[in-house]
Amino acid sequence: MDWTKHMASWLANLPDYILLHRATAGDGDSFETLFHRHYGRVYGLLFRLLGNRAEAEDVAQEVFLRLHQRPPRTADESANISAWLYSVAMNLGYNALRGRQRRWQWDTHLLPERQEPPPSPAQLLEQDETQAAVRRALAQLPPQQTQLLLLRQMGLSYAELAQACGVRESSVGTLLARAAQAFKAAWLATQATS
Amino acid sequence: MNESDPLHDVLNQLAVLEPTAADQPLATAEALARLRPRLAAEPHIPLFRRFLMSLTIKRTAWAGAGLALLIAIFSFPGAQALASDFLGLFRVQKFAAVSISPEQIKRLSELDMEGLYPGEITMLDEMDAPLTVASLEEAAAQSGFQPLAIATLGKPDSIQVMDGGRGQLTIDLATSRTMLEIAGVDPALLPDSLDGAQIDATVYTAVGQHWETDNVLFMQMPSPEIAYPDDFDPAPLGQALLQMLGMSEPEAASLARSIDWTSTLLLPIPQDMASFAEVTVNGAAGLLLTGVDEGIDGQNAAVIWENNGVIYFLASPNFIPQGLLELAEAVQ
Repeated sequence: MDWTKHMASWLANLPDYILLHRATAGDGDSFETLFHRHYGRVYGLLFRLLGNRAEAEDVAQEVFLRLHQRPPRTADESANISAWLYSVAMNLGYNALRGRQRRWQWDTHLLPERQEPPPSPAQLLEQDETQAAVRRALAQLPPQQTQLLLLRQMGLSYAELAQACGVRESSVGTLLARAAQAFKAAWLATQATS
Repeated sequence: MNESDPLHDVLNQLAVLEPTAADQPLATAEALARLRPRLAAEPHIPLFRRFLMSLTIKRTAWAGAGLALLIAIFSFPGAQALASDFLGLFRVQKFAAVSISPEQIKRLSELDMEGLYPGEITMLDEMDAPLTVASLEEAAAQSGFQPLAIATLGKPDSIQVMDGGRGQLTIDLATSRTMLEIAGVDPALLPDSLDGAQIDATVYTAVGQHWETDNVLFMQMPSPEIAYPDDFDPAPLGQALLQMLGMSEPEAASLARSIDWTSTLLLPIPQDMASFAEVTVNGAAGLLLTGVDEGIDGQNAAVIWENNGVIYFLASPNFIPQGLLELAEAVQ
């Protein structure tokens, strides 16, 4: 029997809280299983927030480094590692944006930092402008509303959103509706000023 | 998705932010390979150790580094070599618990994530990795004090000696005030004279014993020492700390005046994880924490007390609180 594969398969089926408990006790394989399970979504959230692949990857690395060094207190099934990861990702993502803010003007602080020229200049330039406008509108929202909208857009269910944002599932619909309303108002305001 | 129209429209609008084919990240395995050297370079600190460190030393996340470092002002080590430079000296003789709400913990955690620190920390003597030893005699030789045993449990399955350390915090007043502001506390509580104040802390070597069958953990360590300048008044800082923990200004001011900050270690207890009660263990004052199973490496009851300059911490999920207290009484 290939014990390595057997072990990997066994770990892959364990719930997050057990993996984290094992990782906290020093089990590197459990930490890596958590990494494989959550990295894609953490990156997806950060890319939507930052609009830059390299920066989103760097911040995602910081998120998991923090999980390794200072993991959340978890010892039972209610432990919610994904919520913790998204919360840290949002905080570090906003820190990165504030870093841009120090370098640039406030009104451009959600512009993506594209360091490579887009492959299809005309079309992608238009897309970048649309992205920038959407990010400018998002920047007007409280972080929790931004987080809710981005995670919902990523396809998370209401139950997952409730866990990720630390709210009751029955409140998610109302909170999303409010967030959408706030986004529309911010969008109209940014369009009026541009 | 079955969304209402306005939400549906907004989500469609947000779809423009999705990563394109050119924006796909490194393969997960590759990203993990990139992270591994940093994991090795900046090792994980076990939760229980972080808990102990939060009682004593500084660089930890008890409920945020800012909070921990404010605690550190009271719990930080004192360099004996510099003792002549200091008139104030803190040694733990008693404990005071303060309940802290999940909302406040979240606020303080956000402060932690901001990466704010109330000053510069210099480690004068780094902690080494824990050492497993074969007997309490060996632990005594390594630690410099005679650790006590729990006779009713017999020989422990493992004994570890955890190295102490020394550090110095030089307070940066501007950053400290910013931290208070973020935490919703009046920054003027910190006097101008605090800027640049140096606080030295010494944490001594600790000894831990574990009994696997009974799942009992017993830690003991000489009281940490904190030395601070003679013109340093801990009371306003104490009030600021209490307010950071969520207490109202009048309550915090009143309690801060009643606490002897030179001998009382403040323990913030998360409301949703534990309740606490004052107890005595063989005549010494202590605290019993119950329902901490989410908080301290799985233990759901713990007792902490001080006797003759040594702090003791006993925890187990296998004992009811009264049973744990009886076990504490059996320490000798």
